[in-house]
Amino acid sequence: MLENSLSVLLSRLDFAWITSMHILYPPLTIGLSLLLFIAEWRWVRTGDEHWYRLTRFFEKLFIINFGAGVATGVTMEMAFGILYGPFSQAAGPFFGNILGYETITAFMYEAGFVGLMIFGWGKIGKRMHLFATFNVMLSSSLSAMWILVANSWMQTPTGVTLQHGIFMVHNWVEAILNPDFIFAFPHMWIAAVELALFFVAGISAWFMLRNRNSALFQRSLKYSLIALLFVTPLQIYLGDGLGRVVAQAQPAALAAMEGHYHTYNSNGSVNSGWHIIAWPNDTAGKNDFAITLPHVLSLLETHTLNGKVTGLDQFKPADRPPVLLPFYSFRVMVAIGFFLFIVALWGAYLILRGRLDSQTAHSHRGYLRILVFSAFLPYAAIWTGWWTREIARQPWVVYGLMKTSAGVSKMSVGSEILWLVCFAVFELLVWGGAWYFFAKVIRKGPDMESPVIEGGHEPLGHLERPSDDQAHPEYVRPVY
Amino acid sequence: MQSLSTIQNELSFIWWIALGLSFMLYIILDGADLGAGIFSLFVQDEDERGAIMASMAGTWDANETWLVVAGGIIFGSFPLVYGSAFHYLMIPLMFALLSIMIRAVALEFRVHSSASKRFWDWGFGLGSLSATFFAGMALGAALKGFPLSHTMVPNYVGGDLRFLSAFSIWTGVGAVVAASLAGGLYIRARFERRCSTYQQAGSWVAANFYLALAAVVVTLIWSLITFPWAAAKWTGPYAWVWLLLGVVIVYAAFKMRLASTRQNDMRAMLWLATLIVLMWGGMMATMYPWLVPGTWTIYDGANPSNSLVAFTLAVGGFIPVMLMYNWYQFWVFRARINKMAAYAH
Repeated sequence: MLENSLSVLLSRLDFAWITSMHILYPPLTIGLSLLLFIAEWRWVRTGDEHWYRLTRFFEKLFIINFGAGVATGVTMEMAFGILYGPFSQAAGPFFGNILGYETITAFMYEAGFVGLMIFGWGKIGKRMHLFATFNVMLSSSLSAMWILVANSWMQTPTGVTLQHGIFMVHNWVEAILNPDFIFAFPHMWIAAVELALFFVAGISAWFMLRNRNSALFQRSLKYSLIALLFVTPLQIYLGDGLGRVVAQAQPAALAAMEGHYHTYNSNGSVNSGWHIIAWPNDTAGKNDFAITLPHVLSLLETHTLNGKVTGLDQFKPADRPPVLLPFYSFRVMVAIGFFLFIVALWGAYLILRGRLDSQTAHSHRGYLRILVFSAFLPYAAIWTGWWTREIARQPWVVYGLMKTSAGVSKMSVGSEILWLVCFAVFELLVWGGAWYFFAKVIRKGPDMESPVIEGGHEPLGHLERPSDDQAHPEYVRPVY
Repeated sequence: MQSLSTIQNELSFIWWIALGLSFMLYIILDGADLGAGIFSLFVQDEDERGAIMASMAGTWDANETWLVVAGGIIFGSFPLVYGSAFHYLMIPLMFALLSIMIRAVALEFRVHSSASKRFWDWGFGLGSLSATFFAGMALGAALKGFPLSHTMVPNYVGGDLRFLSAFSIWTGVGAVVAASLAGGLYIRARFERRCSTYQQAGSWVAANFYLALAAVVVTLIWSLITFPWAAAKWTGPYAWVWLLLGVVIVYAAFKMRLASTRQNDMRAMLWLATLIVLMWGGMMATMYPWLVPGTWTIYDGANPSNSLVAFTLAVGGFIPVMLMYNWYQFWVFRARINKMAAYAH
């Protein structure tokens, strides 16, 4: 059982809340900046106006999302010290350094170019703009890499020794390229790309369903579905790889994810059963109820029929993670991963048979609706994936080396509740606002009228005063 | 705790300078944006408020990020200070972060809103005001120092409300006044001279100039009385250096006022930046070798691992590059605007 005094539990909830509300934005920033770069590059190379319109349209959604990501992200940087002071002090020599790298080589880098990318149209040249977009793409992926280095190290803390209560780094390469990072970073990065592709595909499907700008959106639909044909199975492969790393490096975490309490059955044979669903009971150390397939767990983790998989009974009760949340959030994530793979297969089939262009798409309305629905699923998969990862690591904050209860700041319960309530209100407002303005921009649709900005350094237009002073002025773009 | 090698001592000093530089850039750059936000609370016209936000659309994000960089440097180079000081400052930092959050989304959402414009205007204005106040309060509270445990790694011990004192409230107010001045000068530099916003910012700058002057004098006298480390430096054998610094500061303040009344708005902003450099540098020199007076010196709080070497090698070179593309960014977005900018992007 966990050392879960109310104070520790509240600290965990405080942090869980701000991270869960932050992870909603960066994946779209990372994935969409890549897609924006590709679209803008195609426009610069071919001069095809459709690419330009798509870039400008999705850029509007990008900046709403980016603003929300910065708003919730600044908190993250400070929250380690506020909520987890002793952890920050002990792990600072590695963990703090990595976050320092992230702020300097990624966060600041990105912030510098994103302003040019969004508001630089007509102020900087075409190639300079493409360069800005490229930098936003590169820096957001770099940012993801550093964050995953830091987080993976908490899962598999290699390259450090604990001296006088502080983690001293003795091998930087081992610490950065820790075993978990090798699969966790690609898994997260591909998750970001997959999310952005489904986001673009879902929005494109929505426009096709309404028969608005079909000629434009059939293009983004086509390319995102073809990309997803490769991305979705790759993600399943990477997820399996990460699962095997967890099985080796964090057996207790894997046992929690699978609800695997007993290493052996009561008759002495290896317990190889994999639960489809179960009702775990941590106090009793068993599942109260389970539907179990024999041999599947051993097949998954050891690739043999009766290989031994360590159960939770091999760990002291104080070192066992809770089971219920990791067990179900893991299953939800996996189910979404496979569902999205099928959606991608189906979509690619339709695309290759030429059934999703602006002429024929109306006969596949069911599929287009599924695509709109699928745009939300990657968000759920990312949430549940992170919950699995972070909860199954408990009761450790640095796996095997530092307990969460030793890493939290000793705050009063009152201030912990104040934190939770304040951030609940503000971050729900940010979330609601972001999705409300997504919807608003999408409903308004892409701007097809204003002239294409060709060379940069162009006047973007002027405002004309209305005849009566009550109405708002009209924004007029010059037409050449 | 182990002691540091010579090279680590030197690197700690260098990163202390880098930390000071990031905070200083944050104060110069985002100070103006925050002040413009406070100013917007007093602007009646909806389009004028929108134009104030539009004026910083391309740059606010990078300006604010200097704070995140400063946070990253404390975490990376001074983790022992980071983990204890931020815990001590939980409440003011929390309110500053919430304010920054609402302000950031107001800046991005407003342009797409119709019915909720008023709401985001308030979010932007009040967020700017309270972010400035609580950041100033956190700075004042840090100057007072805090108690540490006598464990292997010294953690913060003390209540959640220890940060609260007459001095920390005063520094919060002082920060608001200083930001208001910076914001006024920024508006003067970014708006066309015939705009009513430009005119309004003129009297705003005049009022806040005298308020800021008074606030600086009060803060200096207060510090002289309450902080022995400050009094020892200022009245020590190098008193003439401090006096000279004082004279230079008064001269710069005078030049700033003169430039502003003559409508040399960019020059006034640069004089203000000079003032901030002089005063922030003076404060750091007064505090040396303390990072948190009475609690952490630069060398006690520094990263004890070989990490400082790694940190320097890995990211030291990026800081000049960052300064370069930041400069380019300001160059691109330098043009004066008018209230029609509320619609432009």
